[in-house]
Amino acid sequence: MVTDGAAELPAGQRKEEFAEPRVVCWEGPAIVAVAVDGVTRVFQSGRPRSDAHRVVALDQVTLRIEEGEVHGLLGPNGAGKTTLIRILSTVLLPTSGTASILGHDVVRETRLVRPLIGIVFGGERGLYQRLTARQNLRYWGALYNIPETESRRRADKLLERLGLADRADARVETFSRGMKQRLHLARGLMGDPRVLFLDEPTAGMDPIASRDFRTLVRELQAENRTILLATHDMIEAELLCDRVSLIDRGRLIAVERPKTLATWITRYERIVVGGAAPAVLERVHKIDGVRSITINGDGTARIDTGAAGATKAVLEYLIGAGVTTLSTSLPSLEEVYLEVIGRREPQT
Amino acid sequence: MRPFLAACQLQLRLSARIPDDLMVLATVPLYTVMFLWMVKYAGRLDLLGYALLAPVLIALWAMALFVSGEIVERDRAAQVLESLLVTPTAFPLVVFARITTVTVCGLGAFLEVLVVSRLVFGVTLSIRHPGVFFLTLAATTLAMAGTALIMSAIFVLQRGARIFQNSLSYPFYVLGGVLVPTAYLPSWLRPITQVVFLSWASDLLRDSLLSRPVGAVPFRVGMILGLGVGSLVLGWLLLNRLVTRARGLGTVAMA
Repeated sequence: MVTDGAAELPAGQRKEEFAEPRVVCWEGPAIVAVAVDGVTRVFQSGRPRSDAHRVVALDQVTLRIEEGEVHGLLGPNGAGKTTLIRILSTVLLPTSGTASILGHDVVRETRLVRPLIGIVFGGERGLYQRLTARQNLRYWGALYNIPETESRRRADKLLERLGLADRADARVETFSRGMKQRLHLARGLMGDPRVLFLDEPTAGMDPIASRDFRTLVRELQAENRTILLATHDMIEAELLCDRVSLIDRGRLIAVERPKTLATWITRYERIVVGGAAPAVLERVHKIDGVRSITINGDGTARIDTGAAGATKAVLEYLIGAGVTTLSTSLPSLEEVYLEVIGRREPQT
Repeated sequence: MRPFLAACQLQLRLSARIPDDLMVLATVPLYTVMFLWMVKYAGRLDLLGYALLAPVLIALWAMALFVSGEIVERDRAAQVLESLLVTPTAFPLVVFARITTVTVCGLGAFLEVLVVSRLVFGVTLSIRHPGVFFLTLAATTLAMAGTALIMSAIFVLQRGARIFQNSLSYPFYVLGGVLVPTAYLPSWLRPITQVVFLSWASDLLRDSLLSRPVGAVPFRVGMILGLGVGSLVLGWLLLNRLVTRARGLGTVAMA
C-alpha cells in the first residue's frame, strides 16, 4: 500500500528492544575516570510542592567511563546531556545519586575534582570578548594556578595547535564562530585536564575545522585523557568514540559501540525515486525491510527502509523496473531516535 | 596569589575597554563643584575638607558597589560564570580581586578633586597628617572592597543588580558620614554608624587634614580594617554559600 503525506511508521518493536539500558563493556584500562551511579536531577520552578513545574532532566543514570576512553553522549535537545556534563563538572548538584571523577566525589570533593577536569561548553560565548585570545588563555591558566612561564608556553602551544597562532593577539569579538569554538577548546585544555568534557564542541565549525578537531581529540586520547563528548552528530560520534551512550528524556537508553550506530543509520536509509509508476511502488512496498513509501509534493516518492540489505534489494528492483531517477540518503540523528526510541509524546 | 593578580589584571583590561566601570569618575568633578560651592558661598571654608573628601568617598563606594554587581552580571551574561566556577580558584577570590582593582582605580577621584578645587576655586587641600591620611585611605579602600563582596553574593542569586546598587548607595553615604559627620545624625542612628566602616574612615580622614593631633589612630584604623576584614570574611562565606545554592537550584548559568 502506498500512503500519502506524512506516513506513520511501524517501529514499536525497536523501542522495546532498548527498554532497559544495554551496556557494552569497554575493554580498556581498569581505572574508572568517570563514575555515575543512579544520578537524578530534577528542576523545579514555581511552588516547591507543585508537580506542574517539575522537570526530570536526568533519571537514575548509571555510567562508567574508563580512563583514556572517548565516550559519546548522544541525544536530542533536552535529553539531559548538558545536565549530566554540568553535574560532572561540579557546576550543578544532582538531586540524588553520586558521581565521581577519578575517584573524587563531584559534590563533596570539588576541590580535588576541579584541577582534574576541563570543560568546553558549546556556543559562541564563554570567553571575554574584549580580550585577545592569548589574554583569555593566560587568565584561565592563572585560575588553574599554572606558573607564569608554563602558562605562556602552554597558551602559545595551544594557539598553535588549534590554528589560532596568527590571531593570538586579536580580540575575541572579531573571531568567527568556528574560531571561538577552537578557542573554547584551547581554554578547556589550559588546565591540562585528565578528564575533558566537550559539550557540542564542533557546533559552528566548518568541515576543515571539524576534521582538525577530530584529529585533536585523537591526540588527546593518545595522551590518555578521558573525553566525554556530548554531540548531535552521529558520524562524529562514530569516528571519535570508543563507546556511545544514548540518552533521551533524562534516561540512559543504551551504551553501544559506534559500529552499532552505523548499523542503525544504514538500517534506516531512505531512497527518493522520481517517475516510478504506482504499480512499481506497490511492488517495492512488498520487499522485506521496506517500512513505508511517502509521495512527496513534487511527485517523487520517499521509500524508508528498516532492515539491513533492504536498500540494496529496493535499488536492484527499481533499476530492473527501468527507474533511473534515484537517490539515497541517511537519516538524521533525530530520525534514528524516532525509530529507535519511539516517537516522543508532546511535552505538557 | 597568582590567581588574585591575574584577576586584577583582567579587571584592569576590561575596565580599559568597558569604560562603564570608571564612569563614576566622570561625576567626581561635578560633586566637587557642588560641595565646594556650598561651603564657599555659605562662608564656611573651614569645612573645605568635608567638601573635598565627600566626592572621593562617594566615588570609591559607588565604584566598589557598581563593579561588585557587574562582575557577576556580566560574567553570567557572557556565559563565563560556569567556566569560572569549574576552575580550582575560589570564586570569591576572583570577585574580591576585581572589586579591589576597580576600587583602587577609584582613588583617581582624589586627584580629580585636587585638580578641580585648584582650577575652579583656587583652593588647595592641605593634609596636615599625610601618614594618617594615606594609611586611612588604604584601609578604606580595602574595607570598601570587602564590604562590596557581600553585595556580589546577593547578585549571584538576584539578577536585578542595579536596583540594589541604586538603593544601597545613599543610605550608606548618610550612615558613613561622607559629607555630614555622624555625630550630627539623630541619636538613634548613631549606634548603627559604629558598625559602618565608612563612618570611622570619613572621621579619621577629615581629622588628618587638621593641624591638631589625631587621636587613637591605631584603634580607628583598626576599626576600619576590622570591619572591612569582617565584611570580607562574611562576603566570602556568603558568596560560597550562595554559589552552592545556585548549583543546587541550577541557576548558575541563567542570564
